[in-house]
Amino acid sequence: MNSAMPDSSSILRAEFNNNSTLLAYPNLTSPAVYFSGFMRPGAFTDPVEKRGLASFTTDMLMTGTKNLTFQKLHDKIESIGASLSIGTGHLSSTFFGQCLSEDLETIWNLLLEVLTQPSFTEKQFKRVRNQILTSIAVQNQDTAEMASQEFNRALYGAHPYANPSIGSAQSVAAIQLEDLRAFHKDNYGPDGLVMAFCGGIDPEKARQIFSRTLGNWQPGQKLSQAELPAFVPPTQAVRSHVALEDKAQSDVVIGVPAPKTLSRDFQVCSIGNTILGRYGMMGRIGKALREKNGLAYEVASYLGAGLGPTTWTIEAGVNPDNLEKAIDLLREELRKFINEPVTQNELEDVKAQALGRLPLSLESNAGIASMLVSIERYHYSLDHLKELPAIIESVSADEILDAAQRYWDLDKLIIASAGRAV
Amino acid sequence: MSTIPNQNLIQYQLQNGLRLMLKEIHTAPVTSTWIWYGIGSRNEQPGKTGLSHWVEHMQFKGTRKYSGEDIDNLVSRVGGYANAFTSPDWTTYFETMPSDHLRSTLELEADRMVNSRFDPDEVETERTVILSEREGSENYPEFRLDEAVQQRAFQAHPYRNEVLGSKDDLRATTRDDLYQHYRRYYQPSNAILCVAGDFSADQVRDDVEELFGGIPSMPVTTTIPIQEDSLNPGDLVEMEGPGEAHYLEVAWRCPAASDPDFFAYSILESVLSGPSSLNMFGSGSIGNRTSWLYQALVEEGQAVSVFGDLSANIDPGVYKVFTTIQPDGDPAAVLGIVDEQVARLKSRELSVTELERAIKQARALFAYGCDNITNHGFWMGYANSFSDYEWFTNYLPRLSAVTPSQVLSTARKYLREDQRVVGIYRARNSRGAA
Repeated sequence: MNSAMPDSSSILRAEFNNNSTLLAYPNLTSPAVYFSGFMRPGAFTDPVEKRGLASFTTDMLMTGTKNLTFQKLHDKIESIGASLSIGTGHLSSTFFGQCLSEDLETIWNLLLEVLTQPSFTEKQFKRVRNQILTSIAVQNQDTAEMASQEFNRALYGAHPYANPSIGSAQSVAAIQLEDLRAFHKDNYGPDGLVMAFCGGIDPEKARQIFSRTLGNWQPGQKLSQAELPAFVPPTQAVRSHVALEDKAQSDVVIGVPAPKTLSRDFQVCSIGNTILGRYGMMGRIGKALREKNGLAYEVASYLGAGLGPTTWTIEAGVNPDNLEKAIDLLREELRKFINEPVTQNELEDVKAQALGRLPLSLESNAGIASMLVSIERYHYSLDHLKELPAIIESVSADEILDAAQRYWDLDKLIIASAGRAV
Repeated sequence: MSTIPNQNLIQYQLQNGLRLMLKEIHTAPVTSTWIWYGIGSRNEQPGKTGLSHWVEHMQFKGTRKYSGEDIDNLVSRVGGYANAFTSPDWTTYFETMPSDHLRSTLELEADRMVNSRFDPDEVETERTVILSEREGSENYPEFRLDEAVQQRAFQAHPYRNEVLGSKDDLRATTRDDLYQHYRRYYQPSNAILCVAGDFSADQVRDDVEELFGGIPSMPVTTTIPIQEDSLNPGDLVEMEGPGEAHYLEVAWRCPAASDPDFFAYSILESVLSGPSSLNMFGSGSIGNRTSWLYQALVEEGQAVSVFGDLSANIDPGVYKVFTTIQPDGDPAAVLGIVDEQVARLKSRELSVTELERAIKQARALFAYGCDNITNHGFWMGYANSFSDYEWFTNYLPRLSAVTPSQVLSTARKYLREDQRVVGIYRARNSRGAA
């Protein structure tokens, strides 16, 4: 790996005739490669009565192709010690994989085959449906998952992000095999596919392999072009709880809509969020809940990033007897966060951490590939990593206070918890 | 075949017994410092479970020189990351940092080897934090089932105890219990300091001599448990609770990592339930969809997931297979299929192709693990915790030397129906008649 920061002189970025894009960065000391990327199909277009359709379709892709049975497909992947996964989020589908450098063409050929020629057999349809329904049943017993789902329902309201992309037991049961075939036909194509790669192959050679595989995917019919519906933020506070029996711990999510990822506010709030609930032993809220009061092992804040609407949350797991006390303490920390500027020491610490972490986040092939994906997803320049330090340095305490006041409206907090009945 | 070169490795022992392992890697301006103590739940006594893990928590609370906040800042302020882990066999602390901050991590580790405060108020705060950590795990039926199976898999050996400790013990532990445990086992002669990354070995060796060389070492007398080679015949744990999904766990005895059988066992595991990665960070994984159990259980619709777990331990441990079963599924039928696949493994030698495939998978997992410096630091100490570094560097050649007949005899020796524990969690709200 180059010890210098990846930039426009060292990242290879190539666009292909089918409107796919490759970003490649070498780590020639590694005998392996890691790749990740995204493509268009997302769960936000799922019909209400068939939520989970996009995710179900993705799950089916890895169950066999016209030429390869399930067994043969996975035998090809596993016998060379490789991995290949595909998943679906609200806005897009993602894929990632890993293999020894010598096997990259094999794996990208397989990825192309599963994306273009899935077999969608009746046997696999029934099996995968069973797996999804059981996953939903398992999630329904998970306090952290249920608190999160309840939170999303309350915050997103009528927006498609209110529902988990996996769907519900009822909606998944309504999906038929023909629905999956149709969804695949209407939504899968190379248009907008992005592949990021890092590992022990020269980028030019990776470009050639990509051009013979995914870069050569010929688009079929015109894909459907749905627009993500507008998000209307909640106008009042919500407090809700999901009761689950036999749980030793309750989980709580407190949050608000987050700033747009491609905004100055997001950069400012990233620094603020680290002070609030990330730095060291989970920032101010870690100090309040864990260090001073011993109420929680897990507590942290999260600022969501994405091209659609996202959330800014605080999440904690506490003993059910301490749930309300924990919520009160977290409210108190939020009150301080919006009423007093962060201290100069806090700001300097967090900026120093953000600047120091840049090289460490690039320690592995996966770290580099993830950074390349972000550059393409958010249309950053290839010199983004060089530009970041100046952005980080420019954030002031006043800006954080101003943003905190605009986003953390304590009269409109969404608070969702799950665990023992309250 | 050896894809893990150890030419760069420098090993050294200070007069006080502290062992030092250094590996220069100059691919990124990063260093990873790991200190390993030979103390874990394996050395704990009944009624005092969880001490090693709780001491690990207290090591972040401060010394006379560093407050807890100072420790946070030392790592976080430069963008580093740090953590600690307690296992049955060891306790370890690491810091991965920009390389120009290596010395500060050595200063911290030298100081907290002897000077941690164990403030009584902070002991009390941490008691509820650890109880909360445990309660978070108890929320999951899989955790409760696994804890019960583990207890049945050992009669007296402390591997039967959860590393977090029992709730009763956590409530009864005193500040003195913790401090004595700390002083007794956090000795230079019971530690290995490992540094990997972008540094000069000569400089670090001098720094370590300066910072650690003056720490006196007291003799460490660790309780060495008696190994347990066999299990109770036909042991069964049955639980029930809310939810719709059922769980089945089967545990068989596995050899110590230093036992020659361990390598044939790794092949056996790869074939039966898929390859386990022993790497800790950013290591990636390989799927198990072509493993025999996945094929027979998931592909045939009898269960929705299955995976295995084989860990490298000092003493004989357990190899476990975990299965999640759909609401209308039947754990007893799933167990029958597990038995069939185990019987198949014990009935014939593997083909050369099956063997070569398992070896290639292991080679890939090692390659993935070696693409970051933190894992290099991890492996130096980890391999030493149950064997020595040669175990790691020779892992692939030793795996390659395993023959089909060795896999067969290992399967017959360990995967016995009368030498296993079966755990079943039945969901009360299930739609089926499990």
